[in-house]
Amino acid sequence: MRKTLILCLFFHLSCFAQNRELLYNFTSIPQSSLVNPGADVSYKYYFGFPVLSGISANAGSSSFSAYDLFADNGVDFNQKVRNVINKSSSRDKVVTNQQLEIFSGGLRVGGRDSKSYVSFGVYQEFDFFMFVPKDLALLALDGNRDYIGKSFNLGDLNVKAEVLSVFHVGFHKKVSDKFVYGGRAKIYSSGANATSTKNSGYIYTGQQAGTPNLYNQIISSNLELKTSGLASFTKDEYEGNVARDIANNTFFNGSLGLGIDAGITYYIKENLQFTASIIDLGFVRQTKDIETLTYKGTYQYNGANPDFLGFDDPENVFDEFDEAIPRDTLYNKYTTWRPTKIYSSIQYSFGEARPDDECNCRGSAEKYYKNAVGVQLFGMSAPREPLVALTAFYRRNIFRKLDVKATYTFDTFSNKNIGLGLAGTLGPVNIYALVNNILEYKDISKANSMAFQLGINFVFQDKE
Amino acid sequence: MRSRSISKIFSIFFSVFLLFSCSSELDFDQVNDFKLEPVLVANLAYFDILANKLVDDGGTNIYPDVRDFDIFKDKFFNERLKKAEFDFEVENNINRSFIINMILLNAENQPLQTISFAVPSYKGTPNVIKYPTEVFENTRLDLLKQTQRIGFVVIITAGPPLNSESLGNLKLRSSATAYLVIE
Repeated sequence: MRKTLILCLFFHLSCFAQNRELLYNFTSIPQSSLVNPGADVSYKYYFGFPVLSGISANAGSSSFSAYDLFADNGVDFNQKVRNVINKSSSRDKVVTNQQLEIFSGGLRVGGRDSKSYVSFGVYQEFDFFMFVPKDLALLALDGNRDYIGKSFNLGDLNVKAEVLSVFHVGFHKKVSDKFVYGGRAKIYSSGANATSTKNSGYIYTGQQAGTPNLYNQIISSNLELKTSGLASFTKDEYEGNVARDIANNTFFNGSLGLGIDAGITYYIKENLQFTASIIDLGFVRQTKDIETLTYKGTYQYNGANPDFLGFDDPENVFDEFDEAIPRDTLYNKYTTWRPTKIYSSIQYSFGEARPDDECNCRGSAEKYYKNAVGVQLFGMSAPREPLVALTAFYRRNIFRKLDVKATYTFDTFSNKNIGLGLAGTLGPVNIYALVNNILEYKDISKANSMAFQLGINFVFQDKE
Repeated sequence: MRSRSISKIFSIFFSVFLLFSCSSELDFDQVNDFKLEPVLVANLAYFDILANKLVDDGGTNIYPDVRDFDIFKDKFFNERLKKAEFDFEVENNINRSFIINMILLNAENQPLQTISFAVPSYKGTPNVIKYPTEVFENTRLDLLKQTQRIGFVVIITAGPPLNSESLGNLKLRSSATAYLVIE
């Protein structure tokens, strides 16, 4: 059971990047303001279909796919695990992000001619980030016998995970035809957090001439795991439903934090647009049910060492080990930083059109462009080094109210990630679906990363 | 008319998305076959006795010592240990021959097994002996798992007397190899 759980966790985690290259600046979708609060989005008011307005999951693993592990090809599963570990390096990462919008809405404030908008909502988010702990995996798979002289690096253990809910209120204003700015304040409520990103140390077995013992065996450990909202589930006396309790904590009893988003859209020329945003610049102060475990110290193992001197010198390996590398439990509050994202884009539009399908009674219908091309840049803070991605995109307006966007993205996980997004409005109903890595769709199980997002909104514009 | 064609395009796109998403046959039940089979090596025991500490008259003498060895108290390790091997290496630079006995003792100090090594005396040439690997499987492994202490007995056999001026030493180095299966 425990094994299944661990592997499910491993796989689940292995399957899920946080770049939302398709949603970014796709302004016919109200949720695009979540990745740029200064996006040029306009409406009289809108609200998201509860729970169905924004569902997204994002998974990336830079070194292996689900197929590598679970292919039904007769290869022994343990051999597959071994192959995956062998082709991974400790720089390979596994990243997951999932978001579910509980509700969202927005309205124009300040009357019919105003171009100021307020939006708000609640969404739930799960984040996971891990480097492949290659050395530890090798040690668990093979043991140390075939690695005499190698230091297994405990610093390979680098993982963080968080479940949280986000309550947000945003404001954006189109100051002129050229400039839009916006910002969003967020309150984070973290139901569970686990952070173990500052580990170091090694496990070493070596042979040195001139030493009395056969092996020089040393464990030098500087391990630390900080958790919040998880400690009570590990206690024997806990009798409850972990999933339900975490969900409850996430929305009603979480560790609180604050954050902001900010962004702009600037039209350098009528058909040349620049945008930039920063998302989740914030922190969570972890205060609920906190527990920090540390294993710090150095231990050298020598085996039994009789001296024939007649003294009874009790040796107890476990006591010695526990003394050398004690397990300490601390109850200090700690602060975690949210993975901060930055986006920027430059877009050139062409193919001028006028809405010929609608009554142009007042003669004031604005012209628009049917096509847009451009590039986007994405960056996200992460342990050790930031994640970056570069996207080229093409956006086409098929009908007045149906847009498609295609993207080509280079990132850690893939250099041929093609994404396709579709957003259409039928009456007040706005539906969108965004899928990346479509080349891998012919065999989804072999994809190194996958992301999809879909949702339904009700968007109301002024009647013409 | 317009809205009907839009909805048609929508449904085409969505079904294309769905058609795209094929997947190779995956078998998640393979997880149940998952097992770790690490092979661990560790120091077992060592000693280094100087000849000048073995003052004797040239007769047969016995030097005993007993050490705690509590690794098998660890349930996780004990239950997953499928096979063990002990390797021994003795270097004798004393011109006396020895018998080294390693006695595995249970919690009540009852001997479970004795491993014995005959060590020839030093003749002026390098005298390092590697003994055959002691393999513990099945019933022998079960006995090993009850081990809580290890007794070492060094028996020095008759030969030229040793005094505080005598040169040389008797060294033992040994390692254990543990074959674990964790599933």
